[in-house]
Amino acid sequence: MKKNGNLSVLTKGIFKENPVFILILGTCPTLATTTNVVGAFGMGIAALVVLLCSNVLISMLRSVIPDGVRIPCYITIIAGFVTMVQMAVQAFFPALYEMLGVYLALIVVNCIILGRAEMFASKNSVGKSALDGIGMGLGFTLALCAMATVREVFGAASFAGIAIPFLADYKIEFLVKAPGGMLVYGLLIALVCALTNGKGPKKKEFTCAGCPSAGYCKTGACQSKKEEA
Amino acid sequence: MKKSFKNTFVLGCICAVVSVILAFTNALTAPIIEKNESEKANAALSEVLPSGKSFTKLDITGQKLPSTVKEAYRAENGGYVLKLSTTGYAPGMVLMCGISPDGTVAGTKLIASGETPSIGGVAAESFAEKVLGKDASGIDGVDTVGGATKTTAAYRSAVKDALNAAILLGGGDVDIRTEEEILRDNLSAALPSAGGEFEKLFITEDIAGVDDVYKAKNETGFVCVIGEQFIALDMNGEVLSDTTDEIASVARAAMQLLLSTQTTDLTLTDYVGLPTQLISAKVTATGNYIIEIKGIGYGILGGNDYHPASGEYIVIRVSMTADGRIIDCLTVSQGETNGIGSACANESFYGQFDGKTEANYGDIEAIGGATVTTNGYKQAILRAFESVKIFEKGANQ
Amino acid sequence: MDTLKTLVVILLSSVLVNNYVLSRFLGICPFLGVSKKLGQAAGMGVSVTAVMLLASAITWPIQRLILDQLHLEYMQTIVFILVIAALVQMLEIILKKFSPALHKALGVYLPLITTNCAVLGVAINNITDGYTFVESMVSSLGCGLGFLLAMVLFSGLRSRIDESEVPAPFRGLAVTLIAASFISLAFMGLSGIVDSLFA
Repeated sequence: MKKNGNLSVLTKGIFKENPVFILILGTCPTLATTTNVVGAFGMGIAALVVLLCSNVLISMLRSVIPDGVRIPCYITIIAGFVTMVQMAVQAFFPALYEMLGVYLALIVVNCIILGRAEMFASKNSVGKSALDGIGMGLGFTLALCAMATVREVFGAASFAGIAIPFLADYKIEFLVKAPGGMLVYGLLIALVCALTNGKGPKKKEFTCAGCPSAGYCKTGACQSKKEEA
Repeated sequence: MKKSFKNTFVLGCICAVVSVILAFTNALTAPIIEKNESEKANAALSEVLPSGKSFTKLDITGQKLPSTVKEAYRAENGGYVLKLSTTGYAPGMVLMCGISPDGTVAGTKLIASGETPSIGGVAAESFAEKVLGKDASGIDGVDTVGGATKTTAAYRSAVKDALNAAILLGGGDVDIRTEEEILRDNLSAALPSAGGEFEKLFITEDIAGVDDVYKAKNETGFVCVIGEQFIALDMNGEVLSDTTDEIASVARAAMQLLLSTQTTDLTLTDYVGLPTQLISAKVTATGNYIIEIKGIGYGILGGNDYHPASGEYIVIRVSMTADGRIIDCLTVSQGETNGIGSACANESFYGQFDGKTEANYGDIEAIGGATVTTNGYKQAILRAFESVKIFEKGANQ
Repeated sequence: MDTLKTLVVILLSSVLVNNYVLSRFLGICPFLGVSKKLGQAAGMGVSVTAVMLLASAITWPIQRLILDQLHLEYMQTIVFILVIAALVQMLEIILKKFSPALHKALGVYLPLITTNCAVLGVAINNITDGYTFVESMVSSLGCGLGFLLAMVLFSGLRSRIDESEVPAPFRGLAVTLIAASFISLAFMGLSGIVDSLFA
C-alpha cells in the first residue's frame, strides 16, 4: 500500500496532475521554449533539477523555516538552485544556454516550482517530496517535448534539429513564431480535455489551488476567478 | 519580538548559506565558462587564420591604421586577424581577414554585405580564393571579377588595408594614405599657407604642360600640377616654389593666361539649332567656349520602388577649344541614385573627358551599374560639341 | 537628438514589436488569469507597469554599482527576485497606510506580481541588453504599457468569447489561448514598423 502511494505521487505529476496540460502552470516557458525539441528538453530537465533539489531541501527545512517568512525563504532557495543550474548549463551546454536565454533565469518565477514548494514539499516527507519533484519535473518535460515536437515538426520540418526532408516543402512557419505557440498550446489543452472527458483543465483553470501566490495572497484578488471556476 | 528575530535569523541564515554555495559553484564553473567563450571567439578567428590558436584583441583607438579597420586581433604565432568595414556596390560590407605571420593573406570571410547575392556575393566568394597567399605588394595584381568590379575592387582594397594594418601593427611603416590624402598632402607641402584647403580651378584656357591648377580656398595662392611636380604661385601668378626655370616659366605662363581670361556671354537666341538642353555659353578672349548643359540621366528617366527619380538633371560645365577639344569638364550638380549614379560627380569620372574630342569622347570607363547615367552624360557632352560647332558658324546662321 | 530617437525606438518597440506578453511570453499567467473584466485587466496592467518601473529603478543601480563592482554577477537572479518581492510587499504596506483608495483599487493585484515573470524579465533584460539607466527606465515603461495594452485589448475579446458557443473541449483556457494567438498574430504585423518609422 505504502509503495503504491509513493508510485502515485510519482505518476500523478506525469498524467493526472500534469502541470502544463492539467494544472496549467508554467505557461511562460511552455510557450517560449518549445520552438524546438532540444530547447524544450533542456528547459524541462533544468526545471526538473531545480524542482527536485528545492523540493528536497524545503521538505528537509520545513520544521525550521518559520511560517511568517516561508515565501522569501522558498524564493531564496529556489533562486539559489536556479543560479546553480544556470551556471552549470552555461559551463557544460553553452549552446543550450544561448537558446534558452533569459528563460533559464526565469525558472525562478516558474509557478510550478514555488507552487510545489508551498503545496507539497512544506507538508510532506523528504522522500515523497523528491518523488513529487521528479514526477512533476518529468510531467513538465514530457509536456514541453510534446508541444515542441508538434511545433518543430510542422513548423520547421525537423525534429531535434534533424531535418525531415519530405516535410520541407510544407512547413507551417507560423507555428514556430509566437502566435503559433499559443495556438498549439490551446489545441493541445482542448485535445487533453476531450481525451479526459472534460475532467481536466476546465475545472482547474487558475484557481487559488494552483497559484503559488496563494500563501500570502489574503486580499482575494482571485475571488472572482474562484467563483467562476 | 522573539518571533520576528527568529524569522530574520532563519532567512538570513538561508541567504548566507545559499550565497556561500553559489560562490563555490561559481568558482567551479567560471573558468569553464570563460574557456568556452574564448574558444568560441577563437573559432571564428581561426577560420580566417587557421595557423592561429589563441588570439588577443588589440586596442586600436588612436593607432595609425587604415580607416576601414574596425577590430584587430593578434595571434600567438604573430599573425593578425582584422575586421574591416567598407563599401562595395552598397555600403555595409564587413569582412574578416587573416594575415599570416609572413605577411600574406591566410583567409578572408565576408560577414555581412549589401551586395547583390547572385552577382557580387558570388564574385566575393571566388575572389576570396584569388587573394589567398598574396602579400601587400602582390594584392594590387589580383584582377577584379567581371560583372562585379565594384564589389571585388572594394574587397581587394579592404584586403590591402588589412595587409597594411598587419604591417603597421607589427611595427613596420607603410603609406596608407588614400589618393585624395596624398594629393592634399602634396598641395599643402607646396603651399603651406593655404592650410590644406584647396579647390580645383575650372580651366578655360589651353595651358600646355600644366595638368591641373588648384586655388587655395583662403586666397593665398595657386598650385600648378606639372607632371609629378607641385608648383606654388601667389595670387598675382608669381612662382613661389624652388624649381627649374623651365618649369617655372611654364607655370607662370599658364597662370598669366588663366588670370587674364576675359569671357563674354553668348546670347543663345542669336543662334539657330542649339540643343534645348543648353543652359548657358560663354566665349573667352582666346576663342574658347565655356558651356553649361543639362544631361538626362537616371534622375529624369529612372524611378522604381527602390530608387525613385529625383527629377533633377545632371548639370555639366565643359570648356573646349574652338576646334572642339575638351579642356576641362566638371559636374555642377546631379540627382542620380546615391551611391551608384552619383559617382558622375566624382573627378575620377568626369576627369576622363579632359582632352577628348568628338571622335573619341566615348572612350571612357562607364560608371559601374549606372548605364543610364553614363549614357546621359555622354549625350550631354556630344551636344556640347554640337553647340560649339553652331557657335563657330556665327549668329543667325 | 540621437538619444531621444533611441529612447523613442526603445519605447515603441517594447510596446508594439517586442510586446512582452504577445511575443516574448512573459507575464502570461496574469494575462490569461486576470483579463476577464476590463476593470481588472486595467488595474493589473497599471500595477505591473508601476512595479516594473520601480523594480528597474532599483535593480539597475544594484547590478551596476554593487554586483558588477564586486564581481558578484552570478548573484543577479537571487538578488533581483528578492528585491522585487520585498518591493512589492513594501509597496503594499505603503499604499495601505497612505492611500487606502489606491490600495483598494490596485492593492489586490500586488501579491500576484511577485511571481510575474515579466517584472523579473524586464529587470534582467535591461542588464543583458546593456541599457543605460534612462534607457532601462524607458524600456520598463514600454514593457509595462505593452502589458497594459495587451491586457485591455484581450479583456475586450474575452467578453465576446464568454457570450459565444464554444465546443465543449475548447471551453475555458483552450479557446482563450487560441484567441490570444490571434491577437499575437495581429501584433506580428507591427514588426518592422518601428525601424521603418525612423529609417
